[in-house]
Amino acid sequence: MKRRRAITVIGLLALSTAVWAQFGGLRSFSTPPITTDVSPTDAKHEFAWSRLRYNAAYGSDYGGYGGYFYGYGGRFSGAWSRDYPKADIVFLAALRRLTRVDARSYQQVVDLDSDDIFNYPFVYAVQVESWTFTEAQAKRLREYLLKGGFLMVDDFHGTVDWEHFLTGLRMVLPAESYPITDLSDDDEIFHVLYDIGHRIQVPGEQYVVTGRTYEKDGYVPKWRAIRDDKGRVIVAICHNMHLGDAWEWADDSEYPEEFASMAFRVGIDYVMYSMTH
Amino acid sequence: MFQWLFKFPRAVFARGELVFLSSWPTWALLLACLVGAAALAAVIIRQLPPGAARAHRARAAVIWLLQSALVSLLLVLLWQPALSVSQLKSQQNIVAFLIDDSRSMRLEDEGASREAEAVATLQGGVLDAVARRFQVRLYRLDQGIARIDGLKELRAEGAATHLSAGLRELAAETAGLPLGAVVLLSDGSDNGTGVDAEALAPLRERHIPVHTVGFGRERARQDVELDDVELGARALADARVAAVVRFHQYGYAGRQTRLSVRDAGKVLASMPVSLEADGTEQSQRVLFDVGAAGVKSLQFALDLLPGEENGSNNALSRLLDVDADQRSVLYVEGEPRWEYKFIRRAADDDRMLRLVSMLRTSENKIYRQNVRDPGELAQGFPTRAPELFAYQGLVIGSVEASYFTPAQQQLIRQFVDRRGGGLLLLGGRYALADGGWGAAGLADLLPTILPDAHDTFHVDPATVELTEVGADSPITRLTDDAASNIQRWKKLPYLMDYQDAGVPKAGASVLANLNADGRQMPLLVTEPYGRGRTAVLATSGTWRWQMSLPLGDPSFDTYWQQLLRWLVTDAHGPVVASVERPEIHDDGHALLAAEVRDADYELVADAAVEAHVLGPNGLAARLPMQPVWDAPGQYLLEWQAPQAGDYLTEVVATRRGQPLGRDVVYFRRLDGVAENFHTEQNRALLERIATLTGGRYWRPRELSRLADEIDLSSAGISARESRELWDMPAVLLLLLGLPMLEWLVRRLWGVV
Repeated sequence: MKRRRAITVIGLLALSTAVWAQFGGLRSFSTPPITTDVSPTDAKHEFAWSRLRYNAAYGSDYGGYGGYFYGYGGRFSGAWSRDYPKADIVFLAALRRLTRVDARSYQQVVDLDSDDIFNYPFVYAVQVESWTFTEAQAKRLREYLLKGGFLMVDDFHGTVDWEHFLTGLRMVLPAESYPITDLSDDDEIFHVLYDIGHRIQVPGEQYVVTGRTYEKDGYVPKWRAIRDDKGRVIVAICHNMHLGDAWEWADDSEYPEEFASMAFRVGIDYVMYSMTH
Repeated sequence: MFQWLFKFPRAVFARGELVFLSSWPTWALLLACLVGAAALAAVIIRQLPPGAARAHRARAAVIWLLQSALVSLLLVLLWQPALSVSQLKSQQNIVAFLIDDSRSMRLEDEGASREAEAVATLQGGVLDAVARRFQVRLYRLDQGIARIDGLKELRAEGAATHLSAGLRELAAETAGLPLGAVVLLSDGSDNGTGVDAEALAPLRERHIPVHTVGFGRERARQDVELDDVELGARALADARVAAVVRFHQYGYAGRQTRLSVRDAGKVLASMPVSLEADGTEQSQRVLFDVGAAGVKSLQFALDLLPGEENGSNNALSRLLDVDADQRSVLYVEGEPRWEYKFIRRAADDDRMLRLVSMLRTSENKIYRQNVRDPGELAQGFPTRAPELFAYQGLVIGSVEASYFTPAQQQLIRQFVDRRGGGLLLLGGRYALADGGWGAAGLADLLPTILPDAHDTFHVDPATVELTEVGADSPITRLTDDAASNIQRWKKLPYLMDYQDAGVPKAGASVLANLNADGRQMPLLVTEPYGRGRTAVLATSGTWRWQMSLPLGDPSFDTYWQQLLRWLVTDAHGPVVASVERPEIHDDGHALLAAEVRDADYELVADAAVEAHVLGPNGLAARLPMQPVWDAPGQYLLEWQAPQAGDYLTEVVATRRGQPLGRDVVYFRRLDGVAENFHTEQNRALLERIATLTGGRYWRPRELSRLADEIDLSSAGISARESRELWDMPAVLLLLLGLPMLEWLVRRLWGVV
């Protein structure tokens, strides 16, 4: 009986949290402010911003869908869709405006259950502390990266998230062959379009409320990478930062411009690097 | 029989000139014959009854023919026919016997060596018969001639046979002597520079006939012989190179053997070969990886088959200079594209390619990759020839033609036309027709006529297929076998996009087509242009091959590395040296050539060009090369390599003390190798020598008439004499035979 009550309470809590998130949560938007063209014509572009939909470590499927959970939480449900789709759309607008990349104006969701991912050599994943893979998925992602694909991971914070991230990552790229290294100011990835020298920690939207640039114990931003045998970055790791939120809330007057600018410049340099190396 | 009927040997008729000794003019003879025939015709016609049957008239015509022939013969005899021939004066002329003394004369055909057969033939009365009328000189012939006192001095040890050189030497040695004829005894196995009218000119001018006597079988019973190997002189390191091996065989039709390529004993390629009909010249292409840089002495060999008569003609060697100099390709891209990234990655995996790129990342920024120093391309696309000509290849991606100034467009043209570089245009939003290239000044540079339209670029899938030309092209070769290659290309994943590249120009080669939207269009088209080459690849979507094929599949990298290598392999530096024959057999005569250009790749006629030769046993020589007066920029050097071995020659060009460039070539002198090849009697060559000089080709058993034939020569000290023909037995037979024949037909037809 006690157990049934507990389940009921948890269920009610989850439902109320979802409703709360739906109607605002910490912050939300209902309609993306950027106009997108999803016509078949607009699909025919060179670059598509591809967001990786993965299995959550504690869920049985891909979890929920973007737009339902914002700010904290989401770890156990629909983690891949954090900030989706506004972050993607705003970033694409910047990419189209600031570069000569022929980019589609709206995002693409890819997963590791089909070979379709091989048509998108750049892929973005968030909240990767929760990711996990089946053996087939891990193999497909490894092959994707070794053939020339590029993975950018973002929005995970602190020691525990890092450990969880590694658990999933090492299913794909074993540690002995693919060590993780820190990116320095001199690394080419920070100089393809913008010369990014002084890098700052880019906080999530929670900064507006808390004034903290970090989450959990992720006090120091970690710009890290995994390289292939030719020294080219194949996985760009943005740990202890939340670039996605910075793109998503770039049009919020309360979110500091310097964070948004840094996030755009880093994101564009990463895309440029993925298309040149 | 001939001489019995016609009184004189055939040669007298062949060499003599028909004359009439009578003082009456020849036209009078013709007139008399005509009058006689007409008179006979008039008499016969008058005797024909009116309305005679057709058969009757035909018989009368035959009778008229026989009577006219008899009358004409009598008239000819009245004019005293004779043959005017030149005849050598007895004991006043020299006859030179040149006996092939090379190693091929050691070969045994019918139990005795060719040399022994030649000696036996001469000693069997031929020499004596000639010596009775002429002075006889004996010469040994191999790479030159040497006079000998007797046939015992022959050894058959010469490393080569140079018939042309030997005959020229003989002509020079006997320049002031009454040389009446030359008798050349040989198997015709010439391995010199060949024998032609020019080589025989000194003898022809003196009307000296060369009588050739052939020894040896005209075809082997059981032998496989490698005739030639076609292989370029240079290749880039790590290249996959094709050589064409030509060979023929006797006695092994339908059998199989194995063709192999070795480098210092290491097998580079080995493949089975089916032998075709006897005497058929076969050719077989063989592909192999040349490996690291350096000069390679490659041996091409066909396995020895059981019972082969000659085991020394199954292998040939060729020198291949494998170049270690990295080639630079400039890739200009107008927008970030996946194709750009993956092309770069493919080039990164080829250590012989340096792909330097400039990419327009935003409207006002250019991102450069793989530059040697910060100054390279810092000002954008080169505006001066030396800057652009430092590259060997140029790839232009999604860039409008108008991005280049008119001066830069002119520079691109010169890059291909004059510098000899390779230009590749890719498909894209701003490429080809959509980029205004069809209307640009460089349109004639392209291998296709671009469509006069916009929106020719489509981000839609397209499949690819090779053409017959592409199946065997070094650019599109994913597997060695052409048929398999076609299948392999059909299985490639679809392209991400395509562009209508228009219609291929005459002279262009379409290597691959694409299928999209229910149409077939050219995908990869190449064309030579000036000293260089151009290509169009009407897509920017081949990167999908890399991402969609299984991990480790080399198709994408191989294709792009081969395409980029094709762009640059034949784009040489300002000084290009070459040698006429990389393998010089026996005579050591080397002909070096150099083409010299300046930094703008203009030909330089006033350069100082020197060849620094390093040879075997520490040989070193610095030799000036001479300009060719009617070919500016061309320089030549004829040189005699003194001994067998490998020679390295560095050609250095300067102008007014300033260096223009250098190049290195290799050649090898091989002594005694050529004599192992073409060991069958080369009767065709011997017959040609005889025909060109007015002599005759003889079989050894026919030589009993040689002295008579030699007698009839206009060379040396000779006199012209007339030999009357009226008393030939054949004439008497005709005089009797014609009336008898007429009588017989009259009897037969009852018209007596």
